[in-house]
Amino acid sequence: MAAGASAQVTELGVDDHACLTFGEPEELLDLTAAFVRDGLAGGLRVVWLSDEAPQAGVAELARRGVAVGSAVAAGQLDASGCEGRLLSGQSFRADAAVAWVSRQAAAAREAGFAGLRVAVDMSWALRPVTGIEELPRFEEDLAAALDGAAASVLCQYDRGRFDPVTLASVAGFHTRSVAAATYHADAVLRICRQYAPPGIRIAGEIDYQAEEPLALALAEAVRLDGDVVMNLEALMFADARCTAMIADAARTIAGSRVVRLRCAPGVAAGLDRLGVAGVPRVTVVTAGDR
Amino acid sequence: MTAEQSQSEPAGAVAGPDEPRAAPAALEQDFDGGSLYALRAAVAAHAAAAGLPPARVYDVVAAAHELAANAVRHGAGRGRLRLLAGSAELACQVSDDGPATPAGNGPPPSMPDAPWPSEHGHGLWLVGQVADQLTVSRSPAGTTTATATFTLTPAIAGVSGGPPGQDPTEDALPAAGDR
Repeated sequence: MAAGASAQVTELGVDDHACLTFGEPEELLDLTAAFVRDGLAGGLRVVWLSDEAPQAGVAELARRGVAVGSAVAAGQLDASGCEGRLLSGQSFRADAAVAWVSRQAAAAREAGFAGLRVAVDMSWALRPVTGIEELPRFEEDLAAALDGAAASVLCQYDRGRFDPVTLASVAGFHTRSVAAATYHADAVLRICRQYAPPGIRIAGEIDYQAEEPLALALAEAVRLDGDVVMNLEALMFADARCTAMIADAARTIAGSRVVRLRCAPGVAAGLDRLGVAGVPRVTVVTAGDR
Repeated sequence: MTAEQSQSEPAGAVAGPDEPRAAPAALEQDFDGGSLYALRAAVAAHAAAAGLPPARVYDVVAAAHELAANAVRHGAGRGRLRLLAGSAELACQVSDDGPATPAGNGPPPSMPDAPWPSEHGHGLWLVGQVADQLTVSRSPAGTTTATATFTLTPAIAGVSGGPPGQDPTEDALPAAGDR
C-alpha cells in the first residue's frame, strides 16, 4: 500500500517527467539515491542539481550504497548547484532552463550514454529569484521537450515549504507523481519504505497502537529482493511488542539474506535483549549516544 | 532481579518493600491509551532529573510504558502512574482498577491474524529484565498496582539485570504475567 503515491521512484521510465514531493531531508536523500542508483545501473548519465552542497550530497549517495566514485570519474554522474544551469545570475527563464536540459540530453547521447536522468531540487524556487513566475511554463515546456528524448527529470518539491497552490499548479505538467510509500505518518511516528538501500525506515516513537502499519511494513520488507536495511536511527522508543515484531522480521529475512538494523541506543538494547545481534546474517549497528 | 506477586496485600495503604518509604511523588499522572506518549515524555524527564544515565532513563521509560500499556489493554483501560524518587532508588508505580486477567488466558486482544504476532506477556517480561525489582499487588477493592524499582546506586545504575552476583538468567520471567 503506497499511500499517496501514484508511482514508486523505482518505477520511473526513460522519458518520465516526475514530480517528487518530500517531507523531510532523509526522504529526499533516500529517493534521490534510488533515482541516481537506478539511472547509473541503466547506463544513463545522471545529473543532480541541488543548492545544498553538492559534494556533501555525493557523500550521502555513497553512504546509501550508490557507487558514486567510479560514476563521477567516468563522467556518468554530476552533482552541481542550479546556478549556471537552470539559473543565470539568480534569474530564471523557462526557455533557457528547458534548453539547458535539452542540451544535456543531447550531450549524454553523444557521449554514448543510453540517456539522461536529471534530479532537480526545486528549493531554489523558494528564494527571491527573478522570473519565478515562469515556473509553471518551465514544467509544461519541459514535458514537451522530454518526449522521445530518452531523458527523464525528477522535480523535487518540499511539501512543507511550497504552498499547496504552487504544488497544484505544477503537478499537472508531470507525467508521474512520486513519494515514498508511507505506512504510517503522524506527529509522533513515521513508517515508510526506504529505497536506497532497500528496506524500511521508522522514525519517532512506536508502540503497540501502531502494530498494524508496522506489520504491513515488515511484511513488505521481508518480500524485498536482496539484503535489507531497517533504518531505525531516528526511532527514539519502541515498546516490547514492536521490538519483538522487528526482531521476528529480522530473523525471517536472515534465513536467506543479510539484514542490517541501524538503531539508536535504546532500541538497540531492546533488540539485543531478544538476542537479535547473535543471529547469523543480522547486524545491529548502534548510533552513538546523543 | 526479583519478581514478586502478592495478590492479597492491599496496595497503597502501607508502604511495601517495593515503595521507598516517605518518598515524595516526583510525578503523578493519569493515563489512557491516547496519552501514553505524553506519559513517556514525563517519565523520561523525571528519570533524568533523578540522576539516571540515558540508558537507564530509557529502561525506566520502557518499564513505565509497559506497565501503563498493560493497564490500558488488559486492565481498566486507564490508570495512574506515580514516580517515587528516594535517595537510593526510583520506583515507578502503576495502578488501575480494572479486571485482572490471568496471564496467558485468552487470545491477544488485537491483531489475531497479524503477520508478525508477538508473544503475549512480553511487556512484563521486559519490565522484569530492565528493573531491579518488580512487584504486582492487588487490593481487595480490585486495584492492581505494579511497581518497578530502579536503584540509583552508581555501581548498579546502567546495568540491566539484577544485583551483582546474581545470575541474570534467574527469575528472568516475572511471576506476574499480563493480567
